[in-house]
Amino acid sequence: MNPSAIAREYIETGRCETCPIIDLHAHYGHFSGIYMPNHTPEQMLATMDRCGVKLAVSSGHTALADMALGNQEIAELTAEQAGRWYGYTVYNPNYPDLGQRELALYASRRSMVGLKLHPSYHQCALSDPAYGPAYAFAAANELIVLTHTWGESRYDAPKVLAQVAEANPRVTFLAGHSGFGEFDACIEVARRLPNVYLELTAAYRIGGLIQRMVERAGAHKIVFGCDLPWFDPHYAIGCIVMAHISEEARRAILYDNAWRLLQPLMRQ
Amino acid sequence: MRETRRMTFWDCNAGFGRPCVGTIERCDSADDLLAEMDWVGIERALVWHTLMRDQSPVVGNAALAQAIRGRERLIGSWAILPPQTGELPAGEAFFRSMAQDGIRALWALPRLHRYRLTRSTFGGFLDAVSERHIPLLLRREVGGDEPGDSYDLVESLCSAYPELTVILTGSGSWGEDRLFRPLLELFPRLYIELCHYELDCGLRELVGRYGPERFVFGSDYPASAMGGAFMLVRGAELTWDERQAVAAGNLQRLLGEVQL
Repeated sequence: MNPSAIAREYIETGRCETCPIIDLHAHYGHFSGIYMPNHTPEQMLATMDRCGVKLAVSSGHTALADMALGNQEIAELTAEQAGRWYGYTVYNPNYPDLGQRELALYASRRSMVGLKLHPSYHQCALSDPAYGPAYAFAAANELIVLTHTWGESRYDAPKVLAQVAEANPRVTFLAGHSGFGEFDACIEVARRLPNVYLELTAAYRIGGLIQRMVERAGAHKIVFGCDLPWFDPHYAIGCIVMAHISEEARRAILYDNAWRLLQPLMRQ
Repeated sequence: MRETRRMTFWDCNAGFGRPCVGTIERCDSADDLLAEMDWVGIERALVWHTLMRDQSPVVGNAALAQAIRGRERLIGSWAILPPQTGELPAGEAFFRSMAQDGIRALWALPRLHRYRLTRSTFGGFLDAVSERHIPLLLRREVGGDEPGDSYDLVESLCSAYPELTVILTGSGSWGEDRLFRPLLELFPRLYIELCHYELDCGLRELVGRYGPERFVFGSDYPASAMGGAFMLVRGAELTWDERQAVAAGNLQRLLGEVQL
């Protein structure tokens, strides 16, 4: 039997007082291809309470489609939840004028803690010069940038991320989904580059992957995410607390690493 | 509130063997699987062997039977092939072999094994499977890469064999309620296994709408981590009895109905 005290507490209570969770890959709102029963702010916060998620950072689904509308929506929602819920400013490179405007608004949106990029969705490679203003802004403000990554994608495969992360060493990149499908390549990028972290959404499900990430990149380079309100945090939690890793590694993945990254960025 | 009572879990979908490609987690043998079940807290499992998939049911079914012999916590499942080619024992002989080897469920992998999962192919064989209440397990990719293709195939199969117990495994992590809920309403003997069903509060909604009886815990180990679906069910906003039914009771009931 897994001797982890963290695992036992999650199993018996659904959460863990001594090892809560920070979710660095959350969303908000409806999305085209999926029915989500639990999508309102109140429902999302209830799920966070149920599963011991102390803090989450969301990009709006609306913002992925229309960043001007959606970033404002997330800024307003999270402004009321200081210490609990923060936001990413989505940057869509297909609208450079609006992108500049969104970056200019960042300072006034006090609950924002970083940028969110989705190269596959916006069909613009992470290495495209169109992202230049976003990287310059993130570097100047030493922000975290959560980017979707996917194996073999010409937009955001691990090798594209590596190229961009090497060129922007002052920006901390969270590799959303850990380059799903090209995991070893993404792990190697995270091992080699100090400014790249592996984010676990969906990837946590792959048998043995978390252990491999810890062994190769180190537990200090892995952060929790579960696409809330898509996925039940308990599923991800089960994968992590039952992984064959140390208790310290579980704690680092579930909370410590994200807290270390977020602390300098939280303005409210 | 702390809930220390131990919930019993029976895994509907776990396997072992050496797949030719694809998995990070190694689970070479039945004993490796049992060790992981002990680690997570799974009492029993309905299991398959990778050779059933990667080589042939002819070889893999026998390998599975050999591997689980004397291991009471592992319940066997076999893969089927069209009767016309005669690769597997026919009719009563097949069911006798199942009984002798502790096999209580079947898999159909029509894409991989290149056949059509239709009445024209399986005729009376699947009628006999239905009459014996032997569950037939399907993978979510059974009909093709597009989700709709698989659900079309499930619909045609369940229409052709309305008394057949079908367990659809791996229904998507993207939350495929729009696709499978209509089938749940049409076919009372269709069950959904939960290894990839991660939708936030999705299980609570499903149980509220259809009752707990239609859903079974499965892990898809070793391709998937065993702890994910385990914790999803353990932590679901359902009563203890509802969760226990999903965790083990429904599979126990289905396997208890099997007549060989």
